[in-house]
Amino acid sequence: MRELWPWLTLIFRRPVRLTVGGLLILATLLSGMGLLALSGWFITATALTGLLLAAGVQASLNLYVPGGGIRFFAVARTVARYAERVYNHDTVLRLLTDIRVTLFRQLSLSARRQRSALQGPQWLSRLTNDVDALDTLYLRLIAPAALAALVTAMLVIAAGVFYSQDLAIGLLVTLLPGFLIATLVVYLRTRHLVYRQTDARERLRTDVIEHVEGFAELTAAGRTGKHAALCLRQADQITSNDSRADTRTGWNLGLAQVMVNLAVVLALWMGLQLFQQGVITGPVVVLLPVALLGLLEVYSMLPDAFARLGGTLASAARLNRDCAPDTSPESDVRQVPLDSHNALELEQVTIRFGDHSPVISRFDLTVGTGEWVGIIGSSGAGKSSIAEVMAGLEKPASGNARHLPAAYLTQQTVLFEDTLKANLLIGRPDASDGELWRVLELVAMADRFTHEPAQLNTWLGSMGSQLSGGEARRIALARVMLNESPLLILDEPFTGVDAQTRDRIAAAMKQWLAGKTVVSLGHAPEALPASDRTLRLS
Amino acid sequence: MSEQASARTWLGGLAIHGRPLILATVSAGVVAGIATIAQMAFLAGIVHQGVVAEVPVQELSLLFTGLVSAILARGVAQGLQARFAARCSRKVRSEVRHQINRCWQTTGPVAIGQVSAGTLAREWLDHTDALHGYFARFLPQMILAVIVPLLILGVVFSLDWLAGIFLFLSAPLIPLFMALVGMGAEKLNQQHFQTIGRLSGQFLDKVRGLTTLQLFGQTAPAAETLRKRSDDYRRVTMKTLRIAFLSSAVLEFFASVAIAVVAIYIGFGLLGYITYGPSDDLTLFSGLLVLLLAPEFFQPLRLLSQHYHDRAAAMGAGAEIVERLQSSTDTRPAAQTGFEPQAPDIISVQDLYLAYDAERPVLDHISLEIKKGDVIALTGPSGGGKSSLLYLMAGFMQPDQGHISVFGAPAGEKPFGWLGQSPFLVHGTWADNLRLTTPDATDVAIETALRQVGLGSLLNSREQGIYSKITEDGQGLSGGQARRLSLARVFVANYDLILLDEPTAGLDSDSEIYILEALHKLARAGKTLVFATHHQALLTLANRTLLVTEGGVRDA
Repeated sequence: MRELWPWLTLIFRRPVRLTVGGLLILATLLSGMGLLALSGWFITATALTGLLLAAGVQASLNLYVPGGGIRFFAVARTVARYAERVYNHDTVLRLLTDIRVTLFRQLSLSARRQRSALQGPQWLSRLTNDVDALDTLYLRLIAPAALAALVTAMLVIAAGVFYSQDLAIGLLVTLLPGFLIATLVVYLRTRHLVYRQTDARERLRTDVIEHVEGFAELTAAGRTGKHAALCLRQADQITSNDSRADTRTGWNLGLAQVMVNLAVVLALWMGLQLFQQGVITGPVVVLLPVALLGLLEVYSMLPDAFARLGGTLASAARLNRDCAPDTSPESDVRQVPLDSHNALELEQVTIRFGDHSPVISRFDLTVGTGEWVGIIGSSGAGKSSIAEVMAGLEKPASGNARHLPAAYLTQQTVLFEDTLKANLLIGRPDASDGELWRVLELVAMADRFTHEPAQLNTWLGSMGSQLSGGEARRIALARVMLNESPLLILDEPFTGVDAQTRDRIAAAMKQWLAGKTVVSLGHAPEALPASDRTLRLS
Repeated sequence: MSEQASARTWLGGLAIHGRPLILATVSAGVVAGIATIAQMAFLAGIVHQGVVAEVPVQELSLLFTGLVSAILARGVAQGLQARFAARCSRKVRSEVRHQINRCWQTTGPVAIGQVSAGTLAREWLDHTDALHGYFARFLPQMILAVIVPLLILGVVFSLDWLAGIFLFLSAPLIPLFMALVGMGAEKLNQQHFQTIGRLSGQFLDKVRGLTTLQLFGQTAPAAETLRKRSDDYRRVTMKTLRIAFLSSAVLEFFASVAIAVVAIYIGFGLLGYITYGPSDDLTLFSGLLVLLLAPEFFQPLRLLSQHYHDRAAAMGAGAEIVERLQSSTDTRPAAQTGFEPQAPDIISVQDLYLAYDAERPVLDHISLEIKKGDVIALTGPSGGGKSSLLYLMAGFMQPDQGHISVFGAPAGEKPFGWLGQSPFLVHGTWADNLRLTTPDATDVAIETALRQVGLGSLLNSREQGIYSKITEDGQGLSGGQARRLSLARVFVANYDLILLDEPTAGLDSDSEIYILEALHKLARAGKTLVFATHHQALLTLANRTLLVTEGGVRDA
């Protein structure tokens, strides 16, 4: 349960909203119970009065109060239900925002290396599912359980006050187990079945993807049937766990309802005894059992929600693990300060991943301030790894890297689903529109957007203006050039850009970036802006 | 047939497959409904006896026994309903997975390879699971929402026909409710998923570009943007939801009003204020029973509206699965008729004809004979039919006309070695990867095979040898190493025939040399090798080079 704690604190940061929402649900439940209970009371009272009248006894019954009460509850139930749904849906959407924003803040503090193991579409889709599981925690689980407990307590107290203490104790003895069966017991009996389901499904997904990718080789070897059977067996294991969890939930629901119904029986039995002793009137006997019948509706929501709790806990645990802040110790090795004439110094830098042979070993490079250096290497020669070390994203396995604050154009173009302006402002948040247009002019993209109706506010990405690879690249380049860092690291700056445009941009860059230090990396000299010197990686 | 219609038909077919269990689910639901009616009848009876007839409670024990029995029966029926529903969903999902597997089998490796593995896996896993709610909840509830209210209506009619008419009048409204609920739920569903989708999109977009945001120190403003965008979406969504929720409020309203009307009618009837109709015969028993049954009359409908989104989910998933299943029947290869086995020591290609476009056949009635132990290079321009000929010899596709007999059997019938252009690895150890195609390979054979393809030094660097994981520390093999691993599978299996599609394309020179050496060893061991290639070194390895171009095949 501890894994849920950070998320519960987050949810309870809106206590007023949650309380109001809860009260609206309570109003719905109470008007439903009130409608039935009062109707039961009314019918019994009228039946008794009717009998007296038929026997010629003078009798009267105030019809207006109960009649008005019944009409009130009927309307109140409808209104409260509608208000409750609208209000609580709004709450859920707010919680959804809270959870996503908090999660994003946490992720942005996490170590990049830890995250890079997780990137990729599968992790992203799992992240989405895990967040969704937390979104519904309040409305599906917390609110119904709390209200069921509250309404139960109210009924038990009412029984104690208006009927007898014995009846109150009797109700407690039947309803408390009923409540536990619908909540805690469901959770405990399904926990082990659902907790590992997501992991099992991801493992199976890997196997199915392998099955499809290896389909030709498996077919050739005559093994598709066997391998498919393996996948089917795993799938069946998962479905069977689902199915067992569902069945147990169903039995628990049935049992919880039996307990509530037994409370009804008890209330009726003891109520009739009290009636015979003359403690209560006939119509009051009917009131409590009929109100208790209304509890069935409240309890019926619980087992399903608690059957998912195991999965929700697993989701929370995964999110806590994946989004934990960076705990790797800061290297407190005393750094030699950077020479004031230099923008970048690499000393005997070795980069390696795990126990594999190093990508780069004992690499030396000194770049003076204002110098333009080009680095050329074929794919896989370790260009991007060096660029990451130069930009300070990665630490070398051995050796030293010292540099001025750097702006880094990564090899992969990253644009956000947002306006052109918002994408550029990431480079320099205080840039004026004029500056944005100038840098767009520089990367030969100004014409492309002056014709768009929204101009700088043109929406980029799948929902808006579609950019070609080269166009997106130039926007990303413009963003880096806006940045005020004295050192620029450009990894393949001109991917997808045609030769003529490239030359034009390269010439303009010289002027715009005058005085700055630029290290550009690429697969061939013509892929880079003109440099003072060029190195070749081998 | 429209997409929705064919999805409906397909779901209908699956329902027939799961019919016994659906019937069992519905039967349990009906029993629970009858038990509920009985419970309410005993309840009303006890109240009548105790309050009106003033029978001492101890003498009512028989009625109380009946009440408790009805309650227990209701609980058991509910449990059984859940059990049958869960089983039905399980059976249907298993059937769908088998269907998809059969579809992949008939589609064959060539067409399968053109769809992303992630998409196919999603269909097999997630879309199939999306059918759960439809078969476990929606479908049985749809039937129960008709049967149970009718049963209750019958009982109420027998008690008091005027009260029955009140409920009955709401009966024609039921289809209207259903439509309302359906429309509302559908709208709600779409809106909800759209919002969630957009929110997730915004969130994932930022997470994907997190490194960039970190580099520019812009994570805090990005979080603020995320909050603002989410709030905007929320406001827009709530506008539509306020309307969508009205439809369920209408159902709620009718249920409440029906109870209130019935209660007041019965009350006035019992007082004798109503002088027409059957109200003279009303007793506390019949009056209370009618009241208690009124909410139960609407309950199945409310449940149905809760399960409505299951239907939408199943329709969406079903449409995509059906499309995949139908695409396989479209490309179903013509059954090979009139196959005549040829001599067991030759591959015989007879009068082979294959055309994607009738104007320009890829292979135009070619015939060919390959002897056992031959090393054949297929060369020619790309798109000239090399790969098609290879696929036909592998049995991955069927020709439009003609036959191929591979060592006396139809193509693809006996196991053979295949090396495609995209290497294939499974998560796991080196041994797992080789035993995938040759389950009974010994440790020694596996190690030998890996050394044959030049992976020995890599293997030596791993502590647990062939039982160490291939991908340690998240670092995979290079493309060349992966291709060599695939070739090791061929070594360990000892096939007579090995087909290779561009085995050296796009490899670094190290891997290229290893592959060439390995193929040389296979050739010396007397295997029949057929490969499609442009590579000069491979061409010299062959003892016969065939030029495949413009629909014909000739010795080069």
